[in-house]
Amino acid sequence: MTQNKLKISCQNVCKTFVQKETQHVHVLENIDLDVEENELLVLLGPGQSGKSTLLRIIAGLEEPSDGQVLLNGKKVTQPGPDRSMVFQTYSLFPWRTVRGNVEMGLKWKGVPKQERREIGQKYIDLVGLTGFEKSFPHQLSGGMKQRVGIARAYANNPEVLLLDEPFGQLDAQTRYLMEQEIVRIWQQEKKTVLFVTNNIDEAIYIGDRIVVMEGKLPGRLHSSYAIDLPRPRDHADIAFLELRREITSATELTL
Amino acid sequence: MVHTNSLPKVAATCSQPSKLPGIFRKIYQSQYALYVLSIVLCIGAWHLGAIYKILGSFLPTPLEVLQEFLVLSTDTLAGKTLLWHLWSSIHRVLIGWALAVVIAVPLGVFMALNDYVRAIVKPVFDLLKPMPPISWISLAILWFGMGEESKVFIIAIGSFVPCILNSYNGIRLVDPALYDAARMLGANRRQEILEVSFFGSSPAIFAGLQISLSIAWSCVLAAELVGSRSGMGFIIIMGMNQLNPAMIVAGMIVIAITAWLISVAMGRLERFICPWKREIPL
Repeated sequence: MTQNKLKISCQNVCKTFVQKETQHVHVLENIDLDVEENELLVLLGPGQSGKSTLLRIIAGLEEPSDGQVLLNGKKVTQPGPDRSMVFQTYSLFPWRTVRGNVEMGLKWKGVPKQERREIGQKYIDLVGLTGFEKSFPHQLSGGMKQRVGIARAYANNPEVLLLDEPFGQLDAQTRYLMEQEIVRIWQQEKKTVLFVTNNIDEAIYIGDRIVVMEGKLPGRLHSSYAIDLPRPRDHADIAFLELRREITSATELTL
Repeated sequence: MVHTNSLPKVAATCSQPSKLPGIFRKIYQSQYALYVLSIVLCIGAWHLGAIYKILGSFLPTPLEVLQEFLVLSTDTLAGKTLLWHLWSSIHRVLIGWALAVVIAVPLGVFMALNDYVRAIVKPVFDLLKPMPPISWISLAILWFGMGEESKVFIIAIGSFVPCILNSYNGIRLVDPALYDAARMLGANRRQEILEVSFFGSSPAIFAGLQISLSIAWSCVLAAELVGSRSGMGFIIIMGMNQLNPAMIVAGMIVIAITAWLISVAMGRLERFICPWKREIPL
């Protein structure tokens, strides 16, 4: 992995939210994190550990209070077409069909209609929504909605895919299925992926590498684990379970 | 058909075998038969109330109202038939309402999108908002006389408030996560406003149009009651002056049916314009 190109570099990133004149909430403190190209990195931490804020800073939706995020060596100041995001609450445009949602980013880029249709269809097929092109989001189940979110993010052909607890609202069954799907999609179309989750099983199942955050604010990075279990992984595999125990005991987190 | 089906079928709730003979059980178990029954009972009670004069001699029977309706439709009142009076009311509503929509919706949108516009418009609007539109009638007559202008003015004032309020709140209440999604997909500010603000607020703006239309409809009646030679309000006031309650009730029923038809048409239009909205039974 060491010969791989450095994709994202967070350097001393701090974030403080000022709620009132006197009330400052330190959410992130001195975050240093490097992500390599085509790596599937999982940011693992309990709720309120600042992991989503870090993701939003990398996305360019929030500005760091101190430090900087470099993408391909250039400082991130705002969202750009080189990054796509999948949201926990799906954030699909309810007034657009599945196809409309998936093609939206391409439309804004000025991609001609015929080409848009082809690319859109490719990713609708990739996430397994063939036949639902004309459905509106409210007609879909949670898992299907998030498939649209993933297709929409992929269709823009970003270099980096940011997933903010994408399966947090799904039931356990659908969640396992979607974990398999995200790994399958990533194996078919390699991208640098940052996956934020609070679920340790999900983290071990998906990640090339897991970065664990401390359990309370201000958020700091606690430790990092390279996961080299062969894919497809098995939740009940001995190696899987040992790794799970190792991470939970070392981090003293009840995950 | 779309709306009525939302009620659970009555048959499903009375599953135990009934002792009623077949034909009655069928009627009893059909919701449409119950709808008819409800209306028949209501009209029957009205008829009895009228012939026993529970409200004095000024409650007409349903039949008298029907006769009056036919008289109004064929004969003329102040030189015009019922249909013409109805049209002159609708005509005023449409002009006043359209005038309000054209001014209020963009104003509400700009208020929501621009802090300076909001800071300038909102205090004035908050001051005007609680004034009942009907309280403007006297001033409107002093300013514009007894003609069309004063009525259109009242209707526009009444329609203005819900239009501006719903446009303003509609845009401010759009889910902020949708703006994040648009920005992540590469939308610039103009594209963001066109896509997220516009579509995201359109159900609320449309609801504002519906509310303001029904307010416009009550405003036109109030305006016509005060000083007019035409319109549905004029028919009602003539009914009072001629001591003819059947004329009043016939006018009220025509008004109600018209208002109902307008709201049904608006509902249809909404489903056509905003097909992504979950269907809400009326």
